Amino acid sequence: MSDYVAGGRAERTVPRSTGVGIWGMAMLVASEVTLFGTFIGTYYYLRFTDLHWPPPGTPEPRVVVPLVLAGVLATTSLPMQLAATAVRRGRLWRARALLVLALLVQSGYLGYEVHDYVHQLHASQPQDNAYSSIYYTLLGADHAHVGVGILLGIWLLWKLGGGLTPYRRNATQAVAFYWHAVNILTLVVIGVLTSAAV
Amino acid sequence: MATAVYEDRLERMWQPRPGVLGWLMTTDHKRIGLLYFWTTLVLFAAGGAEALLMRTQLIAPNQHLLGPATYDEIFTMHGLTMIFFFIIPMTTGAFGNYLLPLMIGARDMAFPRMNALSYWVFLGSGIFIYTSLFLGMAPNAGWFDYVPLANAVYDPGHAIDFFCLGIIFNGISSSLTAANFIVTIFKLRAPGMSFNRMPLFCFAFLAASFGLLFALPSLTADSIFLFLDRNVGTHFFDVAHGGSALLWQHLFWIFGHPEVYILIVPAFGIATEIIPAFTQRRVVAFPLVAVAELLVVFIGFGVWAHHMFATGMPTITVVFFAAATAVVVIPSTIQVFAWCMTFITGNARFKTPLLFIAGFIFMFVAGGLTGIMFLAVPFDQQVTDTYFVVAHFHYIIFGAAVFPIFGGLYFWFPKVTGRLYFELPGQISFWIIFVGTNLLFFPMHLVGLDGMPRRQYTYPAGLGWGPDNLAETIGSYITTAGIVLLLANLVYSWFRGPVAGPDPWHGATLEWTIPSPPPEYNFAVIPKVSSAYANWDYEDREEDRRKLEQGAMVLEQGHEQPVSSTVDGWWREIVEMPHDSPWPIVLAFALSLVFLFVLLHLYTVACFAAGAVGLTLLGWHGEEPQESEA
Amino acid sequence: MWRRGLAAVALLSPLVLAGCGGGANTQNSLAPHSHAAADITNLFWVMMAVSFGGLGLVSGLLILAWVRRGKRGFRAADEDDPHPGERAAWWVVLGMGVVFPLAVVTTLFIVSDGLIINVTDAPAASRTALTVEAIGHQWYWEFRYPGTAAVTADEMHIPVDTPVNLVATTDDVIHSFWVPELNRKIDTIPGQRNRIELYANKVGVYRGQCAEFCGLQHAHMSMLVFVQSKAAYRKWLRDQAAPARSPATALERKGEDAFLNGACSSCHTIRGTSASGFVGPDLTHLGSRTTLAGVMLRNDPAELARWISEPQQVKPGNEMPDLRLSAAQLRALVAYLESLK
Ligand code: HEA
Ligand code: HEA
Ligand code: HEC
Ligand code: CUA
Ligand SMILES: [Cu+2]
Repeated sequence: MSDYVAGGRAERTVPRSTGVGIWGMAMLVASEVTLFGTFIGTYYYLRFTDLHWPPPGTPEPRVVVPLVLAGVLATTSLPMQLAATAVRRGRLWRARALLVLALLVQSGYLGYEVHDYVHQLHASQPQDNAYSSIYYTLLGADHAHVGVGILLGIWLLWKLGGGLTPYRRNATQAVAFYWHAVNILTLVVIGVLTSAAV
Repeated sequence: MATAVYEDRLERMWQPRPGVLGWLMTTDHKRIGLLYFWTTLVLFAAGGAEALLMRTQLIAPNQHLLGPATYDEIFTMHGLTMIFFFIIPMTTGAFGNYLLPLMIGARDMAFPRMNALSYWVFLGSGIFIYTSLFLGMAPNAGWFDYVPLANAVYDPGHAIDFFCLGIIFNGISSSLTAANFIVTIFKLRAPGMSFNRMPLFCFAFLAASFGLLFALPSLTADSIFLFLDRNVGTHFFDVAHGGSALLWQHLFWIFGHPEVYILIVPAFGIATEIIPAFTQRRVVAFPLVAVAELLVVFIGFGVWAHHMFATGMPTITVVFFAAATAVVVIPSTIQVFAWCMTFITGNARFKTPLLFIAGFIFMFVAGGLTGIMFLAVPFDQQVTDTYFVVAHFHYIIFGAAVFPIFGGLYFWFPKVTGRLYFELPGQISFWIIFVGTNLLFFPMHLVGLDGMPRRQYTYPAGLGWGPDNLAETIGSYITTAGIVLLLANLVYSWFRGPVAGPDPWHGATLEWTIPSPPPEYNFAVIPKVSSAYANWDYEDREEDRRKLEQGAMVLEQGHEQPVSSTVDGWWREIVEMPHDSPWPIVLAFALSLVFLFVLLHLYTVACFAAGAVGLTLLGWHGEEPQESEA
Repeated sequence: MWRRGLAAVALLSPLVLAGCGGGANTQNSLAPHSHAAADITNLFWVMMAVSFGGLGLVSGLLILAWVRRGKRGFRAADEDDPHPGERAAWWVVLGMGVVFPLAVVTTLFIVSDGLIINVTDAPAASRTALTVEAIGHQWYWEFRYPGTAAVTADEMHIPVDTPVNLVATTDDVIHSFWVPELNRKIDTIPGQRNRIELYANKVGVYRGQCAEFCGLQHAHMSMLVFVQSKAAYRKWLRDQAAPARSPATALERKGEDAFLNGACSSCHTIRGTSASGFVGPDLTHLGSRTTLAGVMLRNDPAELARWISEPQQVKPGNEMPDLRLSAAQLRALVAYLESLK
């Protein structure tokens, strides 16, 4: 092995890189994505065992607005990634600003979606039929993940308030990674749910 | 001389807290492994006791030891306990935790505190599910809990809620463990241990961990749906409202079949370490075996519907899954013959551990062959849900998953306790268990073919089922006697056994290079690795000793551990490992509260508990490893 | 007694199993009475032979290892050749571990899932003249004969040498219709109308049982299939389709109104009377049955009386409650029900 280190002290000079934190996040995301995979599989399994989808009397899902919003949410991957880079370069204030920006968009998205979720509950409930059961479960699960992401963001902002450490640098990377996953998930989930209307 | 200096610096650096507190807050993979071991042993005793109750009830026709209601709870709890609370935590939790870091030359797991969390969550889930039994409301719809029988209409009360929540709860623990293993194996291998130099044991646990990580979500989703159907009034499984009863079965077995390979693969891992030690020979066709261990889990994800052949699925579907089942056999046959050839080309010393492995191969082949019979769909549709299936999976589960656990207990006993067990009683215990299990499980084939369905709390006289059942029951008592002898031997040896020394078997892997029992820091020198059988590379071991003299590769400056590159295990960096921490147990406690309140339908309170979980996490991540800015 | 001895032998050699079976008091999947079941049985014998071969092979290798144990000096690992016989071993592993099993499973797959599966599969509508509906209930089987009014429970009749299209459905949870000596089993899935072919080549009585766990009394959800000559079957069906005969004696008449005015009628149907409950089995021709309550009891006055007076003791947890009945009522009810031939 080329860069095999023999000396007891020598390796202190090795530049610290990501550690293993990011791997932990990767594992979490892997199992969450699988969970959503099962939800989506269920959605289609039920869809193809039923004649009418959505069943008569249950309102069709809206298409344009949710898709557009999901798209908007997806754009927050950019500031998150930039924040991660900024942190790596030691640009603390830049990172904070980017985080705030992302958080604003994300909270806006969640705020509207939750309001809309509650609103939809007036028209149809999960207790109506299998369609609305999986519809609300899948959508709710996705919102929950956005919510967790926001909490992570706030926590990170608070951490970065106290200056930079390798630990926090890795944390930023991990959180950014989580958000990329959630953004893609949201696009997919909304895509699946709206597919009932087309 | 210098050696001693470095060693006691490490000693101080890695010192655990004294007393009980040290155990409650420990993050040492060895201590966590032991905690897992004792807990799962007790749960094994519980599952065994349930089994014996069933066998005693079935000893003859029309017995009244257990009523139908009790029997249903007992066989369900037996299945759940043995699979979710014995084999999985015993192999991954106990064996994996204790041995994996030792085998890859690491000082701990990648996430020591998360490792502790896994244990405490596991303990919580175990207590959770067993309270149901003591409250007389234990799950009672079988371990695969088919709907509609399990829905609120046919099973009112809390029994199935305990099932759903208990399973999710336990799943969290398993997922954490799996994630921890994967990262540990990817990143913490001793510098130089590229994948092709990794012991087969680690390949097995890598496979099992991937299996768990990707199989469990399906079960979690399933349980969530069922809980919602029962308590919120959704209609996932309710045919009348567009749901599907088969959906439950699909989701369950998408988890369920990979699960059964997750049960067996660690056993393969144990076998592939015991065999080299007692044949003094590398496992034949090493790369092939390594690939097979991974493949069996991978292909295992594509065969689930072979548990549903009698549900009236379209013939085309049925045939597809039969074909997949035919394919999944190959990795296993490869391994079986690789082991046998290692036995032959090496020179076997049939000490107790190897005896158990020989027995394991025999039982595995016997059980595997009945498994193959099931891919003949018409035959499966004839014997499914009979004792023939019960025979199949006990041969494989008890014979092929538990035998290696027993063998492993004997094999690593000297490493863990520093003492040797007594050989003769050991060998006797093997023969008792071997005879016992065959007497216990072989007649199940016959009585199954003779038409006895499973899950009957009793059976009528005059169908010719009596004698077989009698034999089975006697077999179960003999088996128990053997297990008790085994445990007695180990417990006695613990106090009176002769001192073992670091390497009583001339074992092949890194754990045999260090003292027994291992020091807190495992390795004084981060070992040099140039093959999968590192303990047989004498030059490397010499080099390690020299390094220790000069204090090279000792990392006694901090609570430290090197991180290597993922594939070829090159040196990457040093990370500071976390110290003991109160957070894991606190978090597990808060999490238990969440499940408790959800069970009691106190959803708002549950939200507060969830908040508590959040705060704990905050505290958890509050304490950063003291690293200097790079 | 001979059975016990037999099974003792069976322990040593499964082959003996083929001997026993046939008739109302066995449920032996190795005593087939239809081509479907016969094909499955033969398939099993072949698989078993091969399996014992495979098991013998592996055991042989292990024994060989035991014989050759400790031949070379123990520290083999330090010898110049640390991996003795690796090359040869590779070939064995590839041959025995890949080629051989692949051949075996492929053959098995083609034979069973390509050919035999067509014999055991549900019949094409054209092949069968007769359809019977088997409806699973916790915990008894209801049998209907579409096109006629006939409804019965736990005991079905079919003509010999006639492919019957059996439609298995459920009224509640998943059950599994299984008469091992006639064919493989089929689950009753809510919302599905699963079908298999039921065929018997010999007049006689065949025992079957619900195979899928379905709750407390899963153990006592058996059934009997009476295979009759075509003529006898036709007569039976005619009798079953007819409404209940009205009571003849005074006692029977007392029984009838105890039934109609008591709780019974709220759960049971007796065609031709006002009793039209759906919870329990149709009792229109109870007198013509040989057994009661999922083949738990012989159908004679004593057992019947026992059932009616304490069903919860006989079959704990079943849907029929213990209704405190006076001895007089009980005698009357029994007389009445037994008269319903
Ligand atoms: C440790 C767990 C474990 C393992 C490893 C296996 C291994 C296998 N299982 Fe099993 N199985 C279970 C646990 C396990 N099973 C359980 C718990 C159930 C019941 C669940 C329930 O209903 O409660 C079950 C049920 C089950 C069914 C459903 C039966 C039914 O309900 O109708 C099927 C059907 O295909 C099946 C098939 C197989 C096959 C093909 C293998 C193969 O992987 C076996 C491969 C191994 C070998 C083949 C041995 C090597 C043989 C040789 C080297 C000899 C030479 C080879 C040839 C001649 C081919 N199993
Ligand atoms: C790992 C899996 C595993 C193991 C090891 C076992 C082991 C045993 N099993 Fe079981 N079994 C299952 C998994 C397992 N089983 C599953 C999944 C089912 C299906 C459930 C369902 O249908 O839903 C099942 C079902 C099942 C049935 C069918 C029930 C039915 O369908 O009606 C029966 C019946 O005989 C049975 C018997 C036994 C027996 C006698 C043992 C014996 O081998 C047990 C011997 C062990 C002991 C007796 C314990 C001894 C231990 C100690 C003494 C330790 C002491 C330590 C302390 C005191 C700290 N099992
Ligand atoms: C609450 C509903 C209910 C009531 C009331 C009830 N039964 Fe039943 N009965 C059942 C059910 C359900 C079964 C099937 C039990 C089983 O086999 O699991 C049954 C079975 C029977 C059987 C056996 C039928 C067979 O085919 O084996 C007889 C006979 C019978 N009932 C008679 C009576 C009489 C007489 C009364 C009144 C005194 C009565 N039942 C009241 C529900 C009821
Ligand atoms: Cu009906 Cu089992
Ligand atoms: Cu399987």
